[in-house]
Order: sequence, then structure tokens, then C-alpha cells
Amino acid sequence: MSKELSDIEAMLETQGYIADRSIAMSIFLAMQLGKPLLVEGPAGVGKTEIAKVMANALNTNLIRLQCYEGLDATHALYEWNYQHQLLYLKMEEGQQRESAELQKSIFSDTFLLKRPILQAITQETSPVLLIDEVDRADEEFESFLLEVLSDWQVTIPEIGTIKAKHKPHVIITGNRVRELSEALRRRCLYLWVSYPTFEKELAIVKNKVPDIDPTLGIQICQFMQELRQLKLEKAPGVAETLDWATALASLHFTHLDKAVVEDTLGVVLKDWQDMRHVQDSLSELFEKVGVTKRF
Amino acid sequence: MSEPLIRRQLELSANVVQFCRYLRSKDYRIGPEEEADALQSLAYIPIGEQETFRLALKSLLARSRMQQEQFDEHFDRYWKELEKAVDAKTEEKPQGWSNRAPNKKSKQESFQALKSWLYGEGKENEEEGAIASYSAQEVITKKDFSAMTDEEMRLVMRMLQQIARSISRKKSRLNKASKLTRRLDLKRTMQFNLRRGGSIHKFLFSQKKDKKLRLVLLCDVSKSMDLYSRFLIHFIYAFQNANDRIDTFVFSTALHKVSEFLKEYKFERAFEIISDRIPHWSGGTKIGQCLTTFIDQHAHGLLDRKTIVLILSDGWDTGEPEVLEAAMRHLQKAAGRVIWLNPLAGSPGYQAEATGMKTALPYLDVFAAAHNVESLRKIAPELRKGRKRKPTQIR
Repeated sequence: MSKELSDIEAMLETQGYIADRSIAMSIFLAMQLGKPLLVEGPAGVGKTEIAKVMANALNTNLIRLQCYEGLDATHALYEWNYQHQLLYLKMEEGQQRESAELQKSIFSDTFLLKRPILQAITQETSPVLLIDEVDRADEEFESFLLEVLSDWQVTIPEIGTIKAKHKPHVIITGNRVRELSEALRRRCLYLWVSYPTFEKELAIVKNKVPDIDPTLGIQICQFMQELRQLKLEKAPGVAETLDWATALASLHFTHLDKAVVEDTLGVVLKDWQDMRHVQDSLSELFEKVGVTKRF
Repeated sequence: MSEPLIRRQLELSANVVQFCRYLRSKDYRIGPEEEADALQSLAYIPIGEQETFRLALKSLLARSRMQQEQFDEHFDRYWKELEKAVDAKTEEKPQGWSNRAPNKKSKQESFQALKSWLYGEGKENEEEGAIASYSAQEVITKKDFSAMTDEEMRLVMRMLQQIARSISRKKSRLNKASKLTRRLDLKRTMQFNLRRGGSIHKFLFSQKKDKKLRLVLLCDVSKSMDLYSRFLIHFIYAFQNANDRIDTFVFSTALHKVSEFLKEYKFERAFEIISDRIPHWSGGTKIGQCLTTFIDQHAHGLLDRKTIVLILSDGWDTGEPEVLEAAMRHLQKAAGRVIWLNPLAGSPGYQAEATGMKTALPYLDVFAAAHNVESLRKIAPELRKGRKRKPTQIR
């Protein structure tokens, strides 16, 4: 394996991120080729975490753009600080200044509110730009994003064009709320992160909750693996596993038993129907995991 | 034409390009840019390690979950064929790459097969398909859904998707200027006043634009709807994927939410899972009870004045009519519009005789037939309206 690639793996690991080869490879190539990395996968598998870890490891800023329905350019790029502009105008009222001159002073850097994308391209070193849950934003925003991602420049009519000093490392995440456009996919490298295997999940638990009882860790991971087989409405992710492990470890449990699971299932399942479904098949689950009811 | 189109490539880079073309024939969207990326990446990775090489190409060339899952298979197949070619010391295209080019066919035919492999089988066929479908559309417009072939069903699916999309794109959520509500719009105020010299003469206000339509789809999958089940499935799927503000439920004797599966899985798989989990698929019907369950458990947060409730059912109810009536009354009050599509209503001389249908009828905004494409076309504009209006019946 090449040195750079193992460097990336080591870099992720020192940050406490257990990655498999395909994740490391995607990050590596995205950085080498200077392309955005589009990460998709179910909720709670550590998609957003990739960006955070990357920023930490590269010792650079993480700039996050959280997407939501109705997100538009004023929230992603820049906005003029209208309140301040108004105040400024009021102050200048007596001075009888030329309109053109006034406009120029109003539309200057002082009154410019930089939103994430503009922030990202005006940094001194390449930051990590995380565009989170891009599929929640509208399709119009997606096409707008394409423009930015290909040119790395932003045009503000009143000022002019601002070109990126350093291309940011871009991580885009999606939850498959809707299908992303082919055009966006083609601009990016693609990475599908699915639920971890038992071994990987156990490694993650051990890494994040170091003081957990080994038996408990194994049982929790086994239980989660089985749980995901149940076709639930909202299958629990690694985030839930960690929450649960942390909770049980801090309560000093050393193994799972039926009562414990029943009492703490709310940490793992966030849907009422799932809860009922799991409660119904609890004994079956226990059998598979090998937890026996203790009298 | 004397030169063979595909030869054994001795250089790795040539092989990578050829592999890209191979993937293109498998419907991967790979252009020169991707090929360039792939070649460029060769510089960074140790190409001696097959596993690393495969991973690198995978992350560069596979652009969706499905493609990522299939990639390994394509990769293995390509290099295996290539090895065979090396062993046989032939410079021509190895056998088995295209099952349309068996050994002893005439040159012309194998050339044709090669060409389609090389330039992507899909493209040509797609074009032909589009032309064929154009004329076919007219023929099938009046055909009953229960009597359609798979091919025709696919066409219907496409139409459904168009309808579904046109509904979902109706409204936006951006601000619009308004004189009614008192929310100061600084951006517009500044723009307005600066144009007039800079001092503030006038404040401008704005309000939120109407939200996107929300759809709730309630589908009857009981025995009596069996004839139309294929249509139903397509209907649900088309709507589900065109609009992200849609929640889909199926019911027969009990109600099940299925939106999640439809989003997560491809068509066939989704319905495998759903029919797996729903034991009552094609059982009896308890419309009233199911609607009540919907109202009790799901309606909160789903139903508002901008929601369209779309019920697909033949109205054969084996439950109590009172229960259905109460549920319908609630739905009518809580939702923006309640639309009932009944495949049976298309037959000439149809009367709403089924008890369930008779009970529900007074509470509907639109009652329409949905038995063929033509009827669907007629209801599309109704669906787009989104607001309450006089009750309509479309046959």
C-alpha cells in the first residue's frame, strides 16, 4: 500500500476515526485530484465526522454549511448587512455626499456578511468546507452549488469577482432524502458509507468509550447488528451505538440483560413503531445475541 | 473496418480507458473528465496492488450506491476477460464480453454487436424506445390498467412521474413582496431607497411564500384491488420519488407506512420488502378502521391546510360505515383537499354502490376514476390545484 494512503489512514486513526480502506482511498483521491467528495449513507454512520476529522488532521478550519429547505444564496454566499448600512446612511444624512460615492462606501467590505462559501474561498489556507445534507436544499440550490464548485469564484455585483486564494477541501454529505442530480454527482467523487461491520463497530466503541467492559461492548455491537436486520423505520446508526455504550458504561453495567435493554431502548430507537416492533421480538433478538434472562 | 475495434492493450493506461468504455456500456456515466481523473490517479497509487487499484477506480468511477455495489463485479469481469485475451494471444475482442456476438456469426453482425458494446447498447435502444413509445402512448391511453403488459406499464410509469413532478414543483418557499404582513424586508427596503438617493423614504415588507404541497397517499392493497395492484405499485412509486414531501401508507385490514422503504430501495426490492412485512397484502378491507389509525397515529404533523390526501381504493369496505364516516369527516376538516381515485369508477354506468364509497362520497373534494392513462391525465390539473374548491367528479 502506498505511503500517502497509509498516512491518511493513520491520520484518521489518530483522530479517533476508524475508517476502512474505501473511505481512506476516497479521501486520499479527493485531496489529490482536488475534487469534492460526496458522501452518502444512512443517518448516523459518521458522514459528517469525516469532515471534522479531516479538518483536525490537516490542522485547518472547518467551515460548515448546513443545508435546509429554502436555503438560498444569501445564506450560503454573502449578504449585505442592511441594518448597519441603514445606520450609516442615517449618520451620513447631513453631509450632502454624492450618491455614487455613498453607494461605494456602503457596498464595501465593512458591510459584507460572509456566509460559509465566501468564507471558505477567502481563507489564507485551504479549509475543509462541509456542505451538510445537501439533499435537504432545493434543486435550485444544487445548480447554484455546481457553479461555485467548478469555478471557485463568487461574483458580487457591487464589488466584483472574488477568486479563491486556495481551493477548499469539500465534503458534501447526503441522506438520500431525494435523488441528487447527475451533474452534481459528476463533479464529485462518490463514497457510500454503510453501517459498519461488527468488527469495525466494536473498534469504534472501544475507541470512543475506552472504559467500557469488554463483554458489554461485544454484546452491544452484536445487538445493534441484529437490530439493523429488522427492517426498522429508523435503523439505529453508530451514533446510537455510542450513546448506548456510553450510557451503559457510565451506569457500570458489565453485560446486557433483558431488563437493562428494555429500560434503555429509548437511547437506540427513536421511533414509536420501531420500539413496539423490537419489544415484540426482543426474546428472539436475545437468543441471537446470546443474552439469557437472569433470575 | 479492417482494423479490429478492440484489441489487447499493452499499456495500463490504455486498459484503464478501455475499462471506462466498458463501464459506459453498463450505463455508468463516464466522460473524458472521469477518464482523465482515473489516469491521473494512476500516478498516486501503487498500481501493483490490485486491491488498491480497484478501490481507487471504484471511488473515481462509481457515482451512486447501486454503481458502487455492482462495481466489483464489473471490475472482476473485465480483468478476467482481459487475462483470457492475454492467454489466447489474440488481439481481438475476447468472447463473452458481449453475449450478442457468438463465435460464428458473420462479420457484419459481430461488428454490429461490437459497435453496440463499444458505444453503449443503451443509447441506441433508448432512442428507438422513445420513438416507439410516442406512438404507443396514444394506443394505451384508453386501455384499462388491469389489461396492460409490462412494457405499457413502464410507459404509464413515466407519465405518472411527470404528473407527480408537476405537482411537487408547484410552489416555492422564498420570500415575496407583500403589503399585508408586517415583516420588514431590509434587503428590499435598501434596494428601493438607494435607487432614490439613499435616504429612507419608505419601508418594504415581505411574507413567506406558500409552502410546497404535501401529499399523503393512502393505498388500498386488499384483495378486491388485486387487478389494479400493479398500477397501484407504480403509482405509489412514481409519486414517492418525485416529491420528497410525501408520505405513503398502504392498507387493507391494517395500515402500514411504507415511505421509508420506497426511498431507500429500488423499485422491485422495495415491494419485496413491503409485501414481506405486510401480511395482509391482498386480504380484506377495513377502510374506516385504517383511516382512523392513520388519523390517530400519523395525522398529527402530517395534515394541514396545504396537504392533499390521496386515497386509492375501490371503496369496498367490510368495516362499520360509521367509523369510515367519522374518519372521512376528520380528514376533510384537517386536510387541504381529499381526493379519492377509484379504478372501478371508469366503467360505464358505474354507481357508487359500495357502502364504503357511498359513505365517503360527501366528504370528498375530488372523486375520479383511475383506470387508464386518459383518466389520469384528466385528474392531473385537479391535483395541482392544492386548495379547497367545489367538489368535482371526473369520470
